[in-house]
Amino acid sequence: MSHEKGTGDMNPVAENETGFELSAEDRAAFEAIVARYPTKRSALMPTLWLIQDRHGYIPDEAVTWAADRLEVSEAKVRELISFYFMYRDTPQAKYVLQVCHNISCHIMGARPLLAHLEKRLGIRVGETTPDGMFALEGAECLGACGMGPCMLVGKHLYEHLTPEKIDAILDSMRRGEPLPADTDRDLEA
Amino acid sequence: MNRDDYRILSKRFGTRDGHKLPVYEAQGGYGALRRALGESDPATVTETVKASGLRGRGGAGFPAGVKWGFVPKDAETVYFMVNADESEPGTFKDRFLLDYDPHAVIEGAAISSYAVNACLCVIYIRGEFGWLVDRVQTAVDEAYAAGYLGRDILGSGYGLDMIVHKGAGAYICGEETGLINSVTGRKGQPLIKPPFPAVSGFLGKPTIVNNVETVAAVPWILNEGAQAWIDLGTEKSTGTKLFSVSGPVRNPGVHEIPMGLAFRDFFNDWLGGMAEGEELKAVIMGGSSVPVLTAEEAMNTRLDYESLQEAGTMLGSGGMIVIPARCDMVELIQVLMHFYWDESCGQCTPCREGTGWLHRIVRKLRRGEGTLEDIDLLGRVCEGMAGLTICPLADAAVMPMESFLQRFRPEFEALVHEGRPERPDSRWAREIRS
Amino acid sequence: MVKLTIDGREMEFAEGTSLFDACREARGEALPHFCYHPDLPIAGVCRLCQVEIEGMPKLTIACNTTVRDGMVVHTRSERVRKAARQILEMHLINHPVDCPICDQAGECGLQDQYMEYGLYESSVEKDEKVHKAKAQVIGPHVILDKERCVLCSRCVRFCDHVTGTSELGIFNRGDRAEIGIAPGKDLNNPYSLNTVDICPVGALTSRDFRFKKRVWLLKGTPSVCPGCATGCNVRIDHEADRIYRLKPLYNAEVNGRWMCDRGRLEYRQVHAESRLTEPLVADGDERHAVEWPELWERLASLDRGGLAVASPGQTLEELVLFARLGAVLCGEGKVCGGPTEAGRGEGDDLLISGDRTPNRRSLAWLGLEEPAGADLVARAGGTVIVYGGDPVAEAPGFAEAAAHGTLVYLGTHRNATCEAARIVVPMSAWAEKDGIFANKAGRLQAVRRAVARPGEAREDWRFLADWLGRVTDEPQPAGLPELRRLVSETVPDVAGVDLNALPATGAVPVPAGSGGEA
Repeated sequence: MSHEKGTGDMNPVAENETGFELSAEDRAAFEAIVARYPTKRSALMPTLWLIQDRHGYIPDEAVTWAADRLEVSEAKVRELISFYFMYRDTPQAKYVLQVCHNISCHIMGARPLLAHLEKRLGIRVGETTPDGMFALEGAECLGACGMGPCMLVGKHLYEHLTPEKIDAILDSMRRGEPLPADTDRDLEA
Repeated sequence: MNRDDYRILSKRFGTRDGHKLPVYEAQGGYGALRRALGESDPATVTETVKASGLRGRGGAGFPAGVKWGFVPKDAETVYFMVNADESEPGTFKDRFLLDYDPHAVIEGAAISSYAVNACLCVIYIRGEFGWLVDRVQTAVDEAYAAGYLGRDILGSGYGLDMIVHKGAGAYICGEETGLINSVTGRKGQPLIKPPFPAVSGFLGKPTIVNNVETVAAVPWILNEGAQAWIDLGTEKSTGTKLFSVSGPVRNPGVHEIPMGLAFRDFFNDWLGGMAEGEELKAVIMGGSSVPVLTAEEAMNTRLDYESLQEAGTMLGSGGMIVIPARCDMVELIQVLMHFYWDESCGQCTPCREGTGWLHRIVRKLRRGEGTLEDIDLLGRVCEGMAGLTICPLADAAVMPMESFLQRFRPEFEALVHEGRPERPDSRWAREIRS
Repeated sequence: MVKLTIDGREMEFAEGTSLFDACREARGEALPHFCYHPDLPIAGVCRLCQVEIEGMPKLTIACNTTVRDGMVVHTRSERVRKAARQILEMHLINHPVDCPICDQAGECGLQDQYMEYGLYESSVEKDEKVHKAKAQVIGPHVILDKERCVLCSRCVRFCDHVTGTSELGIFNRGDRAEIGIAPGKDLNNPYSLNTVDICPVGALTSRDFRFKKRVWLLKGTPSVCPGCATGCNVRIDHEADRIYRLKPLYNAEVNGRWMCDRGRLEYRQVHAESRLTEPLVADGDERHAVEWPELWERLASLDRGGLAVASPGQTLEELVLFARLGAVLCGEGKVCGGPTEAGRGEGDDLLISGDRTPNRRSLAWLGLEEPAGADLVARAGGTVIVYGGDPVAEAPGFAEAAAHGTLVYLGTHRNATCEAARIVVPMSAWAEKDGIFANKAGRLQAVRRAVARPGEAREDWRFLADWLGRVTDEPQPAGLPELRRLVSETVPDVAGVDLNALPATGAVPVPAGSGGEA
C-alpha cells in the first residue's frame, strides 16, 4: 500500500495554475528584487509590495504564486499579510484615509478631526463609503508629529489638518484630481 | 548661543534641493567616504567614531563605535542595517533627515558599513513614509551612478550594495532584531539574545543596526574629527541631538541642539514657549516610551542622557511631546496604551496579554466603570511585564503607564470617584483588522 | 566540565549544557515552561522558565542560557516565584474557562502551573476576555481551539523544523495573535498528531480522541507500534479493556519523541468489528463456530505435509514456536514467510519505514525466506497453515492452490485468507499479549499486554505450544520466561540478550559469537 507524505503547502504550482500572472514590467521588477536580496524568502516583503502596488491589495492567487516562487508555505506568506498593517488582502477603497490618533496628533486635535470626517463621509472609523470611494481608518504615529494632525492617503502625507483643509481635500478627491506631489512644498532654495 | 553653530545634521533642513546629489557634493558631500576609503582603514574609522562618543540615536544610546567593535574581526560576511523605521510616538527627526538629507544618511551608512566590513547595507524604511521611500531609493540610485556604491567604490577595492527595504506597518520593526527578522521575510518579531546580532544576526552573520541620525553624524565626525563632536556636547553625551518637538508650542518641529542644553532655555528660546492660550503641564522627553515629567521637573533638567536619567526619565529618541494643561492625562495614557496594544508583536506572553490588559483597564476607568482596585491593578500588571520579556516593548508601555500613575494619580482617582462616563472611544480608535 | 551553584547546591555539568537541563537535574523537576521542547529550536516566548542569576540585573530564561563556570542560580527564590505567578496570570487572562469540556484536563500545562504557582483570585471578568474561533477542524486528525492557545509556538516549530511542511502559522499581532492554517489548506503531514502531544494545553486536540475519555481514568502500558519496521515506542492508554489512544514514548535510539499518525491510530484495529472471536470450521461450504474440543479434533485430523506460512507481524517467540510446529506438521524446509511483496509501502526519512511489518527481521534470523507471491502459490498444497498476514489477498491464486488441501488460518481479523480457510483459530492482537519484535535495526523491543482478548481468542504462544505438545509429545514451556530462554538458546542472533530483562529502550544484540548485547 502506498503512503503519501502530507504535502501541506509545499507543492510547486505552475504560474498559470494559480491564475495569477505578473505583467512583463512587473516580472522584470520581480526578477530584480530576487537578484538583489540574499535569499528567496527575504524577497517576500518587496514582492508583496510589488503586487499590492499593482492591484491595490494582495489577491489569494498572488499569495499562492508568491509562496511558490519564493519557496515558502502559504501559511508563512499569510503570516506577513496579517502581521503588517499596510498589507491588505481584500480590495480597498479608492482613497483610504488613515488619520493618526496617537498622542501628539491627539493633543493637536485629531479626535474632533475624525469626528468631522465621519460627519462629512457619513461613515464611522473602520468603515467604507457605500460607493467604495473612501475608507476611514485611525492610524498610529505616522512620524510627522510636529506637523499634526496628519493623515496618510496612499503615499501622500497631509499635514497641519483643519476641518476646512479636510473639506478641500475631499472635494479634490471627489473631482478625481491627483494627490499633490510631495515636492510641491514651500521650501527655501 | 548661535543656533546656526549647531546646524550640523540639520544643515539642509527646509531646503528645496538639499536632497539632490549635485547640491550635496557641492557642499562637500561624499568627501568623508572618499577619504575613509582612500586614506584610512576600517579600524581607524571605528576608533574615530568610538573616540567621538557618538551614542546610538534611535533610543538605546549605546556607543556606536563600541557596537561596531563587537563584530568578530575575522568575519567573512557582515551586514549593516540602517534603522529608518521611525515609529516612536513624538519622533520625526529621521523623516527630516531622509527628506532633506538622504545623501548624508547614505554616505554615513557607507562609511559605517566600511568600518565593519559589511558587504550589504539595508536601509529599512517604514512603509508609512510613502513618497519618502521613493526619494531615498532615488538617492541610492544617484549614489550608485556616481560610483559611491557598488563594486570597487572609488577604486578602493571595497564593494557595498545598498538596498532600500520598505516596511509595511509595524512599530516593532524598529527594534533591531525585529528589523533583522523582518528583512529575512518574516514577521518583525524580535529575536532572543544570545545570539547577539553583532555576532550572529541576519542569516546568522554578524549584523550591525544603527539609527538614521547615528549614521548621518558619521561623515561630519570624520571630516571635523572626534574632538569637534565631543566639544559640542557634554562628557557623556557628546555632539548635537535632533529633538522632534510636538504639542502646542510656538515653534514645533525638528531642532538640533548641543547636548546638555537646559530644557528651560530650549523651551523658551528655541520653542518660543507655549502657543497662545496654552499652559505647560507635562513633558515627555524622549518619545512616548519613557517616563513623563511634570512641568516643574522638566524645567529643572538638562537635555542629555545623564541629566534626563537623573530626572527619572530617558533621552530616548528625543521625541519631545509637550502636554498642555487642557489635556486629561488619563485620556492621553489611553491613547498610548492603545498604541502599545496595537503594536505588541504578540510573541511573548507578558507583553502580548499585558498590553491588552492595560488598555482594557484604562478604557474601563475612562468609561467611569473603574474602581480604585483597578488603579492598583494597573500597577500590578506593569510589574508582571517589566523586565520579563524578549524585547523592551513591554517596558516601553510600562514606563509611561507607571509614570502617569505616579505623577497624576488624582486624575485617575477622579474618574473613579466622579464616575464620569466618557464617550466610548472605539468610535475614533482604529478598528483592528481581524 | 563547568561548576555552578543551583539553589545552593554545587554541581558540575558538561560545557554547553543548557541551564534549563541543569536546573531540571538540580531540582528533580523541570522549571515551569510551555515553549521549551528538547527537540525543537528555542523560542523563549513563554517566559516561564526565568531564573535568578547572581550578577544579572534581570531574570533570565534558562532555556536560552548555557551553563558557565561560577554561575550562581536561584530557581525558587521569592523573586522567581513571583515572576512565575505573574507570567502565569498573563497566560490565563484571556484563557477560556473550558476545563469542564476540554480534553486536555488532567494533563494540561496551565492546570499544572496554576496548581503550583497560581491559586489566586482572577482579576479579569469572563466577558472581558478576548474571543477567538473554537473547535476548528484544521486537518484530518487535528482540531484547533484558538482561544485556549497560549502561543508557545511549539506546533509551528514542529511543522517548520521536524516535518518541514510549514502548514501552521501565527497570524495577527498582540493579543489578537492566533495559530492557524492558510485558507484552503490542511494540517495533513503524516506526523500531524504529534502537534497534539506537544501542545501544552487544549488548543490542539485529537479528533479521534475528542470527548472519549477523561485522561485521569486512563492507564498507560508501554509497548511498541506494530505499524512498520521502525517500532516506535508507544504508551497504550486504556481503561476497562478498551484502548483510547496511543502516545509515543521517548526512545532516543528509535523514534525520539515522535510517531506517525498512521501508527498512532493503529490501535483502532484492536477493537475492529472484524476481530475473530471464535474458532471456526468449514463443513462443505458452510462455516460455523465450534468449541475447542472439536477444533482440536479437526487439527489432529490434518494431513501431514504441506506449507506453513508465517507473517512478520508475529512476535519472535511466536515465530520460534510456529517454525517448529510447521517443521513437524508440514516438514523441514516447508516453513516460510511471505509473500515478499506483503507489507511494503513508501517510507520517508523521518520515521515511516517502507517495511510495514514490525518483525521481518526475526523471519531472517529464523532462516525463513519470503518467496514472491507466485512462488508461494506454487508451493501451496496439502495442509497450508497460515499464521497472520493475508497471503490470499497478497498472492493471487493462493486460495485456489490451497483449496486443494486444507487451509488453516491463525489470525486476528476476518480477511481474505480467513474467508478462504477451512479452519480458523482466533489469536491475540499486539496489545493483548506480551512478546518481542525486532525492528529494522535489529533492536529487540517488547510489546505488552494492555487489554483483554476478545471472546475465545487465544494467547498465541500458549496455543502454539499447546499444539506442538500434542503433535510431538515434547514438554513445552510452562510460561513466557521459559519460552524466552528457549528462544535465546535456539536463535543464535539473539544469544547474548536476556529476553526476560530487556531494557525499556530495547536492546540490539551484537552479532552471534561476540557475546553480550550491543
